[in-house]
Order: sequence, then C-alpha cells, then structure tokens
Amino acid sequence: MAFLGDVLMWFTDHANWSGENGIPQRLAEHVQISAESVLIAAVVALPLGVALGHFGRFGDLAINISNVGRALPSIAIIIIAFQIFGLGDTPIVICLVALAIPPMVTNSYVALREVDPDIKEAARGMGFRGLAQLLRVELPLVVPLVMAGIRTSAVQVVATATLAALIGGGGFGRYVFDGLALRDYTTLFAGAVLVAALAMATELSLSGLERLLVPRGIRVLRAPASARAATFKTA
Amino acid sequence: MGKVFLEVVDPWVNWDWVSRHIPLFEDALLQHVRLTVVAVVVGFLLSLPLGVAAYRWRLFRNPILAVFGIFYTIPSVALFAFLVPYTGLSETTAEVGLIGYTVLILVRNVLVGLESVPPDVIDAADGMGYRPVARLLRIEIPLALPAIFAGIRIATVTTIGLVTITAIIGLGGAGQLIYQGLILNFHTPLVVGTALSIALAFIADGALLVAQRLSVPWARTA
Amino acid sequence: MKRNSDLARRFGVLVALVVVAAACGSTGGGGTNSKGTLTVAGFNFPESSILAEIYGQALAHDGYTVTYKLLLGTREVVAPAIQAGQVDLYPGYAATDLEYYNRGAGEASGDVAATAEKLNTRLAPLSLVALTPSAAVDQNAFAVTKDTATKYSLTKLSDLAPVASKLTLGAGPECPKRPFCLPGLEQTYSLHFKAFKALDTDGPATRAAFKNGTIDVGLVFSSDGDLNSLGLVVLQDDKHLENADNVVPIVRQAAASDEVKSVLNAIDAKLTTADLVTMNSQVSIQHQDADAVAAAWLQQHNFTG
Repeated sequence: MAFLGDVLMWFTDHANWSGENGIPQRLAEHVQISAESVLIAAVVALPLGVALGHFGRFGDLAINISNVGRALPSIAIIIIAFQIFGLGDTPIVICLVALAIPPMVTNSYVALREVDPDIKEAARGMGFRGLAQLLRVELPLVVPLVMAGIRTSAVQVVATATLAALIGGGGFGRYVFDGLALRDYTTLFAGAVLVAALAMATELSLSGLERLLVPRGIRVLRAPASARAATFKTA
Repeated sequence: MGKVFLEVVDPWVNWDWVSRHIPLFEDALLQHVRLTVVAVVVGFLLSLPLGVAAYRWRLFRNPILAVFGIFYTIPSVALFAFLVPYTGLSETTAEVGLIGYTVLILVRNVLVGLESVPPDVIDAADGMGYRPVARLLRIEIPLALPAIFAGIRIATVTTIGLVTITAIIGLGGAGQLIYQGLILNFHTPLVVGTALSIALAFIADGALLVAQRLSVPWARTA
Repeated sequence: MKRNSDLARRFGVLVALVVVAAACGSTGGGGTNSKGTLTVAGFNFPESSILAEIYGQALAHDGYTVTYKLLLGTREVVAPAIQAGQVDLYPGYAATDLEYYNRGAGEASGDVAATAEKLNTRLAPLSLVALTPSAAVDQNAFAVTKDTATKYSLTKLSDLAPVASKLTLGAGPECPKRPFCLPGLEQTYSLHFKAFKALDTDGPATRAAFKNGTIDVGLVFSSDGDLNSLGLVVLQDDKHLENADNVVPIVRQAAASDEVKSVLNAIDAKLTTADLVTMNSQVSIQHQDADAVAAAWLQQHNFTG
C-alpha cells in the first residue's frame, strides 16, 4: 500500500504538472495523435463500411477485415513506419489509423446489413430512393452499432498510442517507457493509470455522443452492454 | 514522405541473412506459440466458471464486467513492465498479462453466448425435468458454443499480437526479431518478425475456424 | 452426448500440444561435462551484446554452459537482476557502474585503478565483484551534426557554453539523473540547454532526432562505429567530465571462481578501444551478428583457436 501512496504523491507533485514532461503537455500530445488518427480512420472507414453494407457488396472482406486488423502486431507497424518516416508523429498516426479502420468498417457494414428489410421496403414504398433512403432512413437506424465501432477503435487507439514513446514520441507512453527504463515503477504506474483513465473518458464521452445522436424513437434498439464488447485489443 | 532516413542502402529483406538465421526464427516461433497456447488455454479454463457465475448470479455480472472493462484499457506494455519486480523477467510475467487479456475477451463471449440462449429453450428444458447444473452443461453451454468459439478465435489472434509486445521485457517470440530490427536499425529481422507474427495469426485463426465448423456445424458465424 | 465427448477429445489433444510445445521449447540443461551454468546479461545497445558474447563464448569454450540475456535493458534493469541472482555477470563500465552503485556520490575519476578499487568497495556488500578493467574505453560522448559544428564553430564541449540556450539536448531518459550526463554538463561546463528530449540511450530514436533536427546535441558513445557515416562529430571533453569508463566484467561473487576470473581477465587484457569501434561498425553498419563478430575477435586473439 506504500506504493499506492507513492503514486498518489506523484500525482500531487507540482513538478509533474508543468513543463515538457508534465501531465498537461503529455495529455495534449496523447489526445492530439489519438484524435487525429481516429478522425482520419473514420473519414476512410465509415463511408467504406456504409457503402459496402448498403449495396451488400464484399461482405466477407468487410467482416474479415477486423480479423486482419487484430492480426497486425501494432509494435511492428510503428517500428516499420518509423524506419521509413523517421522521427515525428507520422509513423504513429499511420499505425493508429491502420488499427482504427477495421472495427469501423466491420461495424458499419454489419449495421447496414442488419437494417430490417421491411423498413427498407416501407421506405421505398414511401418514395425514398437511393441516397435519400440511405441518409434519412438507414443511417439513423444504424447509429448505435456504428458508434460502437468508433468507440472500439477510439479506445484501442488511445491505449496503443502509448507505444509512440518507443520511437521517441510523446504522450502518456513517455511515463510508461521512461519508468520502465529507469525502473521507476511509480512513474510507470502513473502513466498506465493516465492512459486507462483517458481511454475510459473516451469511451464515456463517445457513449454520451451516441445518446445525443440516436433519435429518441429508436433508442430501444441500442445494443446490450455485454455485446458492445471489448473484442479488439492491439496494445 | 517516404524518405529513408538512414543513407546506408539496406534492402527490406536481405535474403542471405534470412537463410543464415533460420534457427533464430524457429526459436522465436516456438516461444511465440508456447506463450499464446498457454495464455488461451488457461484463459479459457478461467473464463468458463467466471462467465457462468456472471450469467447465473446477477450480483457478479456487473462487477466482473466492470473490472475487466477497466483492465482492457490498461496498455499492455505497462502491465508487463509492472509485473517484472514480482514475477521477474520470465515467461510467467508475460503469461499473467496475456491471460488477463484472454480472460477478458472470453468471459464476455461466454456471457454473450449464454445470454443468447432463447428463453423458450430454457423453459422447455425445465419442463423436461432438467436440474440447473444439467441444464447448464447439456443445453446452455452447447448452445453458447458458437459465441465461445468466436471468443477463442478472437482471443488467440489478439494474444498472438500482444506477445510481440513482450519483447520489451526480453521475450517476444517473433517480437524479438521486430525489437532487434529497431535497436540495430536493421530492416530484415523487423520484416521477418512481422511476417511470422501475421502468418501465425492467420494460420491459428484458420485452424480454429475449421475446429469451430467441425464442432458446431449448426451455427455458421463469421 | 457424442458432440460433447468429441469436444472433450479435441480439448485433450490441445492440452497435449501445449505440453509438447512447452517441453520442446525449454532450453536443455547442462552438458555432461559442464563446469556449471552461467547467465550473461547485456545492456540494450549492440556493443553490450558484443561484449557479453565475447565473455560468454570464451567461458563456453572453457567448459561452462552459458545462457544469454541480451538487450535486457538499462543498468536500472540489469543491476537488480544480478543482485537477485537472475544473471551471473554483465560487461560493465567502471566509472558509470561506480556512480550507479554509490548513488551518484561523485567518486569516479580518470584513474582507472582507483575507480575500480572504489567500485569493488561498493560491490562487496552486494556480493558482487568487479574484475580487472580493460584498456578498452567507452564513455558518454556528446555529438552534433557537422552542420551544427560549422555553424557555431564547435570542437569541444566548452564551445557550447555561449550557444547552449539555443540548443536542444537529446539522450536516454536516465540522462537527467546521471552525473556524467545532464547534471555534469550543467555543473562542469555551465551548459543550460533550451530543452531536453528523452529519446533512447544512443539508439535509433536519437539518430533519427539528429536527422530531422529535433535535437542539436545528442548523447552517443565514444566507441560507436557509425558516427562518421551519419555525419556526426563528437565534441571533445576538454574539462574531463567523463571518467574512466573502462570495460570491466561485474560478476556475482558466487559465480566468480578463479577459473572464471582468469578467463575474463585474459580477455580484458587484450581488448582495446579500437577493437570496440571496429566491432561496433561491423554490427551497426554491416549488420553482422554480435555473436559472429565476437567469435571472430576471440579467434583472432587465440582464445578459441
């Protein structure tokens, strides 16, 4: 328990809240690379998954891309990107984008596929065609599952961004790797706590966002908690 | 973009080096397989009772899910590093961390599987006179098998990826080659290690898919 | 039900596979005529792997069963490991090891013999012993790119004093705590850099940081073989901040038999700084393996003739 006391003291130490290695700076770095990666991945993955699901094409690919994503060793991708691009944010963002894309594609595809055909039929009967049907009928229905995909990606991006410190990057991973190098377990633990806290905050805020986006009428369709699962761990 | 940062001409795969280091790859793969199999098997053995407990007793369900939900957000590097003073620089340290993550994945899948058993089936079983334990073993768990198998596949592929991270504490399996590639600024072991890890993941996933189709042919899940 | 027993059988096969895999993977025990088992550790940079391999292969040639734990980590990882008996020896550096075990008391000097003696005083209560140091030296060195050297006319470290406030220093995370690193630069040379960037200890991140200008001054090792090819120039340590960092084996007293000592001391007697530079460049530039380079050195010097 003395160890937890040390960790508490680490958090209350003024020196750890200022300067280049302070919590605010590292938080900003960590949030920046995570947010950048999730946004870029979303711009690529969501339209792709939605399109594939809407037209019912390449289903096997869309579903198995998550398996592919899981099979990629994140540490290897970061190092390969580092050897190509050198120091900086680029290698980290590339790795995180690659890891964030699969869950978003798979979830978007499955979500669109699961839209009740009766609803699509009714929409057609009401005069909705093509893009209008997609935007005004299907998309509102699929928000829960799509958001679950975004949440899965975002949480793992935040956790995997810890690896940035391996190739000289910043973020909370600095506390973890520097702590490991110096056998300073207090700093290491503090780093882990900060990453976990940020990941949980990400999960909660995206859940909140989902609540705002899901139209009241279909709120009952939200996926049960146990199914919105932690099935994607990359670091 | 795309500028190689070290001027020395270093092909991505130096086949001569590869041919001279086959035993190194064999050792790395063996360690990788060993770490993975132990993590998944032990994780499965632990997650079955935990999943059943969470299913049977409402009281356990939320705490178990909550604890593992938090565990999931801890970066694995930190977990492995943190265990070192307690379990040393050994495979035990890696296994404790890896098993934690496999249990996490499998408990959820056991739970989802059990919860997806239609209530009609349970009623029918009760009507036929099945006692709770018998019902669990002979009706509910077999019906939950597709989800459980899916969980085993996910856990295995995930573990194969996480094993590479244990290179940070002196292990790593194929991750050792990857880490060496970083420290020595050498492309070839990095590429070989990555390829081995990915290949292992696909082979394991394929083999488990076949096992799944053979064991539970009535349910074709993705 | 048949399904369940099928499953059980498959499960049994899986468990059997686990056992087989575990058995196949475990390293064999000592040979029939082994003099004992020794575990050699190395720090997380290539030169340490080379030195560990040299020591280890010589001991193996002498009849010991040797296992290696290379690229293990910084001294903060290796020192506890040897104190806990998880490893038996590692190739240390006299002055830096002294300042580690005396918690930065500032006892090291340029005098190798005196430094080694003080080191042994510090090691004795930990049941460790330092053997005879080698003439080969590998110290901390601070380098800049050729462009930076030209721009500010830098040849020695004291030349940095007027311009340090404009420059960023890069090193491993342990640098701010090591007397031969940041604190030493501040005290001995009055250098106060604009910023410090924690990267790695003379590793790929430091080199990449030089390349894209993230750092201006970086910590390297004086025996690195690739500095020239990277366009880096080492600044001379004119005020002698760095001390006698001669290569010296640190061994657990329980493992330091007379025979082990004589093998290792014989190696140290022949090892030179030039050898270190050559072997380092063979590994870092030509991508030769540390064990092959070590074997070649041992053969050249008739240890494994």
